[in-house]
Formats: sequence, C-alpha cells, structure tokens
Amino acid sequence: MSSPIRRRRDGRYLIRLDANARTVLADLARQLPEAIGARDPMVRRLFPPAYTADGQDGQEREYRELVDTALVNHHTRALEVLVDTAQADTLDEAEFLAWLDAVGSLRLVLGTRLDVHEDMEPPGPEDPRTAEYGLFLFLGELQYLMVEVLADDLPAEGRPEGPL
Amino acid sequence: MRVRGPRRQRGPSSDRDRSAGPTDVVPPDTVPVGDLGTLLDEDTATDSPWLVIVWNDPINLMSYVTYVLQKLFGYSKEKATWLMLDVHHKGRAVVSSGTRERAELDVYRLHEHGLWATMEQSS
Repeated sequence: MSSPIRRRRDGRYLIRLDANARTVLADLARQLPEAIGARDPMVRRLFPPAYTADGQDGQEREYRELVDTALVNHHTRALEVLVDTAQADTLDEAEFLAWLDAVGSLRLVLGTRLDVHEDMEPPGPEDPRTAEYGLFLFLGELQYLMVEVLADDLPAEGRPEGPL
Repeated sequence: MRVRGPRRQRGPSSDRDRSAGPTDVVPPDTVPVGDLGTLLDEDTATDSPWLVIVWNDPINLMSYVTYVLQKLFGYSKEKATWLMLDVHHKGRAVVSSGTRERAELDVYRLHEHGLWATMEQSS
C-alpha cells in the first residue's frame, strides 16, 4: 500500500487523512499558541536552554532575550498554518514544512506531559492518559511519514556548500 | 534510553577552562603574571571554539533527528545518521563548532526544529 503522504510531480505534497484526524489536528494546533503565549510549563520543551554550564546564567539570559520572540513566532506561525490548512488535500512546500514543525511541537508538548520515555509501558485501557497517548502515537506516525518524504529529497551525499 | 538533560552531564568545568587556555594565547613574557587570572575569566581570553551539542531526548524520532542534521548542516545521510546514533547511544553528540555567534545561530536553528541543543566552549 502506498504511503498516505507523498510529493507529487508538480511539487505539491499530497496528504490523505480522514476528516476526523484533520479535525483533531486543527483542534490541537489551535490550543497550543495560547499555552505558548502564557508560557505554560508544559511547553518548556519547545524552549530549551542554550547555555547550561556553571556561571553562564548571564549568557543564557542574553540568548533568551535575543531569540525568544523569534522562536515563539516561529512555532506559533507553524501552528496557525496547520489550523488554516488542516482540511487541505494538498500543500505547497512551505505549508508542508509548517505542518512538520507544528506536528513536532505538538508531539514534544504531549510527550512532555505524558512523561514519555523510551522503555515506557503504554498506558492500559483504564488509564486516563490512554486517549492522549493515542494522539501522541498518531502524531508520531504522521511525523515519520512526512520525514520519509522530505528525506527522500535531500542529497544522500550531503551539500557541498555546507550549512544553511 | 531515558531522558538525559544537559544539566546532568556538564561540559568542562570552569576550573578546567582556566587551567587549559593561557599559554596558547597569551605569551607569558608580555603579560604581568598578576593579570592572568583576570584575563582568563573572560571568554575573549581564549580562541577555543564553541561546540554545539545535541542531547538525547525520548520524544523526537530518530529519522527526524537525522533529517534535521542533514538539512541544517548539509551533512551526508551517513554522517547525519552516525551523529544521530551517537546522540541516541551516548546521550549527546557534537554536531558543529565555531565562533560563539555561529554556535548560537546553530543552536537557535536546532531549537526551531525542536531538538534539544546546547553550546559549550571546548577546553
């Protein structure tokens, strides 16, 4: 069976998802910007420290002042694109990359809230976290399929001109 | 693997930084010994590069980390995969290095992509 996500010959990205999944995505993406704006502790994983060594508090503060607004805007804009295009069958490249970013942010936040770790037991059917864990797995599937498509377009031998 | 945050494994302590740098950058005969301590407390006292480190996290997919390293740094699939596996198995990997400004930019771009990245000065 072919992947529900692929890049078409005209450069647009085709996404086959049922209406229910799209609604769930849009709902999740609609909620997160508010939590980001309020600096809810559950979004902390989206804003990791750059400097962590002893005596680098001042440098870390400077870094935060320098980038925080840009980082908030970056994640928020991606989530807005996901909300706006959740029902679309095809996406252009910028929209597709925004989806990847937004889906990644949602996973990081849900994963933090669920305290996901690699050898964890999935919550049982009676566990109140089961539904949220299901969403987390769904977002993982989606991220996996999107990365598969994007990775195909990167040169396997690397880019001679180096970093972006 | 479990969550391993940057704070658990620190880079070189500031004490080690202080003992490592001086003779490389300050010819001893031109600087009064009494000034060394002051000089070496500042970043500018040494030219050693800043290292950008990606830490293992239990949430991001392995294929996603590989993709981000390829995309941002232009690494080959093979090199990006090795770095990702280092992150996965050793808990961290140095993914780039350079001036403080360059390292901050790289850290920022990794943060944009949701990776857990920090920077530290090599000793």
